[in-house]
Amino acid sequence: MRRAGKFAERKLRQFWRGVREWCGDAAYERYLRAKGRSDCDQRALTAEEFYVEQVNRRYSRPNRCC
Amino acid sequence: MKRILEFIIWLCVAFAGAGALGAIALHRGEPLNATWFVVAAVCCYMVAYRLYSAFIAARLLALDDTRATPAEIHDDGRDFVPTNKWVLFGHHFAAIAGPGPLIGPTLAAQFGYLPGTLWLIAGAALAGCVQDFIILFCSIRRGGKTLGQMAREEVSARGGFIAQLAVLAIMAILLAVVALVVVNALKASPWATFTLAMTIPIALLIGVYLRYLRPGRVLEGSLLGVALVMFAVVAGQWVAESPSWSRAFTFSGVALAFLIIAYGFAAAVVPVWLLLAPRDYLSAFIKTGAIFSLAAGILLVRPQIMMPPLTRFIDGTGPVFAGKIFPFCFITIACGAISGFHSLISSGTTPKMILRESHARFIGYGAMLLESFVGVMAMVAACAMPPGVYFAINSPSSIVGSTADAAAATISGWGYHLDPQTMTQLARSVGEQTLLNRAGGAPSLAVGMAQIFSNTIGGERLLSIWYHFAIMFEALFILTVLDAGTRVGRFMVQELGGRVWKPLARMGWMPGILISSAIIVGTWGYFLYQGVVDPLGGINSLWPLFGIANQLLATVALVVATSILLKMKRVRWIWVTLVPTAWLVAVTMTASYQKIFAANPDLGFLSKANSLASQIAAGQVPLEKIAETHRLIFNQRLDAVVTATLALMILVLLVEAAAQWYGILSRRREGVLHEAPRVATQWAPGFSGTAHGDD
Repeated sequence: MRRAGKFAERKLRQFWRGVREWCGDAAYERYLRAKGRSDCDQRALTAEEFYVEQVNRRYSRPNRCC
Repeated sequence: MKRILEFIIWLCVAFAGAGALGAIALHRGEPLNATWFVVAAVCCYMVAYRLYSAFIAARLLALDDTRATPAEIHDDGRDFVPTNKWVLFGHHFAAIAGPGPLIGPTLAAQFGYLPGTLWLIAGAALAGCVQDFIILFCSIRRGGKTLGQMAREEVSARGGFIAQLAVLAIMAILLAVVALVVVNALKASPWATFTLAMTIPIALLIGVYLRYLRPGRVLEGSLLGVALVMFAVVAGQWVAESPSWSRAFTFSGVALAFLIIAYGFAAAVVPVWLLLAPRDYLSAFIKTGAIFSLAAGILLVRPQIMMPPLTRFIDGTGPVFAGKIFPFCFITIACGAISGFHSLISSGTTPKMILRESHARFIGYGAMLLESFVGVMAMVAACAMPPGVYFAINSPSSIVGSTADAAAATISGWGYHLDPQTMTQLARSVGEQTLLNRAGGAPSLAVGMAQIFSNTIGGERLLSIWYHFAIMFEALFILTVLDAGTRVGRFMVQELGGRVWKPLARMGWMPGILISSAIIVGTWGYFLYQGVVDPLGGINSLWPLFGIANQLLATVALVVATSILLKMKRVRWIWVTLVPTAWLVAVTMTASYQKIFAANPDLGFLSKANSLASQIAAGQVPLEKIAETHRLIFNQRLDAVVTATLALMILVLLVEAAAQWYGILSRRREGVLHEAPRVATQWAPGFSGTAHGDD
């Protein structure tokens, strides 16, 4: 029973994380992680700067279809 | 033992699919249940995915999971983001699923349910999914390059230029036709107009919330927005019931067209975080929710299909649009079966996020199968209403008349019984004054969806709410396509115009932004206005033009894919892309020829122009209508020139590509691939990309 509970909890966490990644809610966290891995010593963007930069970049190429 | 069991299961799936398809094709008499459509589609998709996509992945493309993808090589947390395959599937599907797979099948239902359903299933499995999958693979192997860049490198410089022009042309026509669908759904409908108008301040509010209050908290911002939009749907009823408010939100088609043109211009020039991005988030949530609800509704309600398998309009005299099944069924249903526009998504965003090459099969081929299923659901929703009602909603007033009595008499005369009271009653029960002459597919789909939803939750009482929810859902994401398309079109105009006049290419230069936005909005706005004042309803000429442009772009994508496969020395399996290419060339060239030169004025642009000109010459046009008729003549000729230009561009590309293919096959020419160098992956085989370090 406890194992089933743990399994359900893990799946729910995965689902929640998937939804956040799908809709872009986790984009800034991802960016910070990628930034932490890279050698580049430029300062990391703030959440607001990153959001504006990200939406500007995303909507300058076809990203919604007919 | 396991293999035998697996074989038996797949054999059962194949038989179930074949049986359901047989039932759909051969059934006559009593209405058919929609379950047959679901079983046929799902079983065919499963077999196609299990066998055909596996064959393409293994034999044709030889996907290699030991090779690092662009997301691994360039991982920057911005464009190149290694993404879990389920999440990326959701991303890719949300990007490719637009209004096309809903509207196209609804319009094609005028031929009956059979041709459209068969094309949706077969077209997706053998052409659309193949295109999306192979272009995605090609782009992954080239660091995430776009279709235009690949056409330039792998076919010719001219090929790249043609692809770029084709994208711009399809964008302008697409935006015009989808805007026309919105106009036809909103005209003289204060409820729907109010609801859609409210999505603008709601999007602005969410934009400010996501920028200043809770930067990047998309989930909570979107959920707040969705709740407000739902409230706006309900509040629309109060607006419709109040005489003064109702008057303020009642607009004619022309007025709505100008409002949408002004909105499109504003959306292209204001900061993207303020309007476009929050609207897109809202639209993505509502779209996904509505599509899954429709699937659940169809499974729960299992509606009866009232439309016959084939209608009398297979002879080309259809009231929704003119033309025979071949080629016009395959032009009308573009996005649910094969859509050139998808190749822009498959070669732009998705390849930069894919984790492993093998995921391209699930994401490229699989997401297109799901899109095709959306098309099948739209077909079911359209065909679940009595054919008389379907034709009354979708036919222009110049054919069936503008009153319920006239429409009922004309449509009953075609053999599809319609009571005048039925239309009045239906309009009243969905909270509208009239549902007649609303060509474009959105209102008839909304009626179909509302009937399915209300049979699941709420019954007759909630029919009007469900109808306006469906209209809002369609109009909301059509306006999102309009915003996003106008903005991308603006960048393309700036890029192309920059070759002629350098300052135009400067991205931050306000006069350049205003000029290029005015050019793109003026182009689609002109076609939109032309559609609104067209006596045949506009959809009749604009939707086929859009279908032709979209399928021509698919031809470009398949030609690029064929060139790459030949260079990869996959000659034995080249039919995988060559057969759909040949089919698309046959369809688009026949449709282009018929739309330009057909002698029937309802079908051919030039014969329509000539017939109007001869009416003026014979003195049959009243004096006050002469200027308008001259404008109609000009528009018909313009449509003919646009169609001919698109067809000519593709012929040039085909000749270039055929010369290249001949050179490679006869070994007179070296087939040089422009793939990025192979880099071995550093990731462990089980890495799922859910998140670095936190799984």
